Amino acid sequence: MQLSIKVEWRREQFLLKVAEQFEMTGVTALFGRSGCGKTSLLRVIAGLDRVRGAEVVLGESVWQQGSAFKPTEQRRLGLVFQEHSLLPHLDVTENLLYGYKRTRPEHRRQHPEQVFSRLELEPLLGRRIDQLSGGQRQRVSLGRALLTSPDLLLLDEPLAALDTQSKRDILPFLLDVTRDSEVPVILVTHSPDEVQRLADRVVFMDQGRVIRTLAIEQAMADPASPLFADEGPASILRGTLNEADASGLRTFTTDKISLLVRAGSARSGEARVRVLARDVSVALDDPGRISIRNQLRATIVASTPIADQQQLLTAQLADGQALQIEVTAWSAERLGLNVGTEIWALVKSVALME
Amino acid sequence: MMFFKLPTVRLRLILLLVLTGLPSAWSWAESATVAAASSLRPTLDRIAEAYMEANPEDSITIIYGASGRLTAQILNGAPFDAFLSADTAYPAALFEQAPGTSEPVIYALGRLVLWSANHDVKGLALSGLTQDRFRRIAIAQPAIAPYGQRAREALEAVGVWAQIENRVVYGENISQVAQMSASGAADVAITALSLALQDGLAERPYALIDDSLHEPLAQSMVVTARGQHNNAARNFIKFMRHTVAADILVRAGFQMPVSGMAAGS
Amino acid sequence: MLGLSPEDWQAIELTLRLCLYTTLILLLLATPIAWWLASGRSWLRTLVQSVVALPLVLPPTVLGFYLLIVLGPLGPIGATLEQMGLNHLAFSFEGILLASVIYSMPFAVQPLHEAFSTLGRRPSEVASSLGAGPIDRFFSVILPLTRGGFIVAATLTFAHTIGEFGVILMLGGSIPGETRVLSVLIYDHAESMNYAAAHRLSAMLLIFAFVVLFVVYAFNRRFRTVRF
Repeated sequence: MQLSIKVEWRREQFLLKVAEQFEMTGVTALFGRSGCGKTSLLRVIAGLDRVRGAEVVLGESVWQQGSAFKPTEQRRLGLVFQEHSLLPHLDVTENLLYGYKRTRPEHRRQHPEQVFSRLELEPLLGRRIDQLSGGQRQRVSLGRALLTSPDLLLLDEPLAALDTQSKRDILPFLLDVTRDSEVPVILVTHSPDEVQRLADRVVFMDQGRVIRTLAIEQAMADPASPLFADEGPASILRGTLNEADASGLRTFTTDKISLLVRAGSARSGEARVRVLARDVSVALDDPGRISIRNQLRATIVASTPIADQQQLLTAQLADGQALQIEVTAWSAERLGLNVGTEIWALVKSVALME
Repeated sequence: MMFFKLPTVRLRLILLLVLTGLPSAWSWAESATVAAASSLRPTLDRIAEAYMEANPEDSITIIYGASGRLTAQILNGAPFDAFLSADTAYPAALFEQAPGTSEPVIYALGRLVLWSANHDVKGLALSGLTQDRFRRIAIAQPAIAPYGQRAREALEAVGVWAQIENRVVYGENISQVAQMSASGAADVAITALSLALQDGLAERPYALIDDSLHEPLAQSMVVTARGQHNNAARNFIKFMRHTVAADILVRAGFQMPVSGMAAGS
Repeated sequence: MLGLSPEDWQAIELTLRLCLYTTLILLLLATPIAWWLASGRSWLRTLVQSVVALPLVLPPTVLGFYLLIVLGPLGPIGATLEQMGLNHLAFSFEGILLASVIYSMPFAVQPLHEAFSTLGRRPSEVASSLGAGPIDRFFSVILPLTRGGFIVAATLTFAHTIGEFGVILMLGGSIPGETRVLSVLIYDHAESMNYAAAHRLSAMLLIFAFVVLFVVYAFNRRFRTVRF
């Protein structure tokens, strides 16, 4: 399914000008600084702002084109706003069921029982809204949106207003919902961390325009990507987190590779890990006697000089996923690390993105 | 700060006298504030001008208002030296309730006319008001306005009141009646001749109503208790019965009372 | 009863009817106007806002006189009605009802405008994203969240209409049972020096108005417009 959108919207000094087609599978992040127009774009998609001449088409259904305009309530979308947006005159249960009741029975794919248990909402049912913490409110908002069984889920900076603890509380649920629900998600965010954790695709926006749209792996391969804030380039690997073995170790595996991870009590199943490029070293031979236990065979497919006499290598792992490696230019030259060189990648640290 | 040292109490008293009381005493000029019924506007302005031409040392200020309200204000200490009412009842009430008020004197008689913005009423008699074209007939509220009371008397005298009563609408005073008809909202009005002769209404014809059909619309005046020693006020009230003032009143649509007519209520 | 004459009761009944109709009509009318005013900024909105507030500034008798011209048989509205075979609106209950609606308009629009502005667009957007259409949204979200504003608007409109005098005096023509409302009757009583009757009615009016206002404001303390 594709979302095609065309909009030209001038407001005072600001011009939002977008004409794009987005693949609507998994999570698409609209990423950019605040004021770049990502929330405006979301509002046009949602139909909250009716911009003359705009076009919004999701798959087969025309939401806006010419004089045709489907109001928000007919678009069958779910919305989670940045700030708390629960209806204060209703309690938690009434909020959760507000949209469900208004969804035609034949459209209902999500049902209260399953959503309540999936988002662990049972203890909150019947509570007053002002008795909830920030994270709980967003969890209820998410559940409320899911219960309309939307064709598209729009998340407008759902974590931005939360403190670190609340973020940690809600992230697993957000991950869970975005990972294995069949609903495509558009996530508006300015946080590289959220993109790395959640996105399958990144739409980079700046000054009202879409700069480029990249799959998350491609986006991560660019050493100059705005997704790399302080920690420098990194790679995202997707795979499965397994249950702990007898010795308490947990592995993260794909069909060809296996990494040991520190995962605590994180739920097993589909998962992402992040590996910082500077946490990877290179060996040309099998480094048998060494403290680093995560060793992966790889082939260098790209080599780019970056700042400070550093070289960024992109290596392809056995399963086809890409791994970024940062080495000094001196090492690259001394070891002859060129495109095509087969190497051992020594991964010093793997962060599970939970 | 020595220059601004407070003068003694006695000195201040003298200063006060010099600043307030003395100048008028020196010039012998007097000023009077006269309260008058709104329906006298602008006729009374002309009379006051004529008075001040004849008595250049005096000055007359006129405050217009509804007669009933002015009466209440005078009873409650309003600074009016004389009062010209649109009727005789209010001056009589003042005379009774406020000792020092002069005996009321009638200065003019009002006349009723039929007037319409929508229809030609020239030559129309009161009995003609039963015609269907007069759907709304404006008169002043009989309970509170003398012109309304006299209008009703006249309508009763010609025997059409019962027939047209449900078509009558009421203005609070004669000016409002004039506005109701001038706007065309009321098809016809029974209003004062003095208003029918004024700019705005004078373009349309009117029909004078026989004054034998109702009690006279006497309007009387008094010098208030406050004005009893004010020469300007007393002279102005006298001037109202002078031929100069009488001429102006007659031209404005009033009649002069037959001499010796009592002003009592 | 209570020392009131049939004439007084007639005026009371008429006044309550006028106030009730005015309040109902104005709530229906002012809600969309206030919503529109609160939903953005434009020159047209400023213009409408100013026009709505005009009755606050115009002396009532002036407003009454203009209405008399417009609604009378020579005025645009009155003439149109006459051509349609209907009666013009001057000196009729419908006429003073229309006048009251115009005259009390700011008292209905402004509290609602304030309530809607405070509420903001978010609750409505949330509800529409959950599948609620405009009317559904109004009754399930906006009305419950701005109940305080509606109570204040209704009370002020009702109370202001009770006290309405100048406009009705001019436009109504003081016809018993049709346009002679309580305030006009009290005025007539007072002007005809029937102070006892005037006092009785004024006292009743005063007590009634005070009780209504007190009850509503006491009640309303519990239902402030919720801020998002």
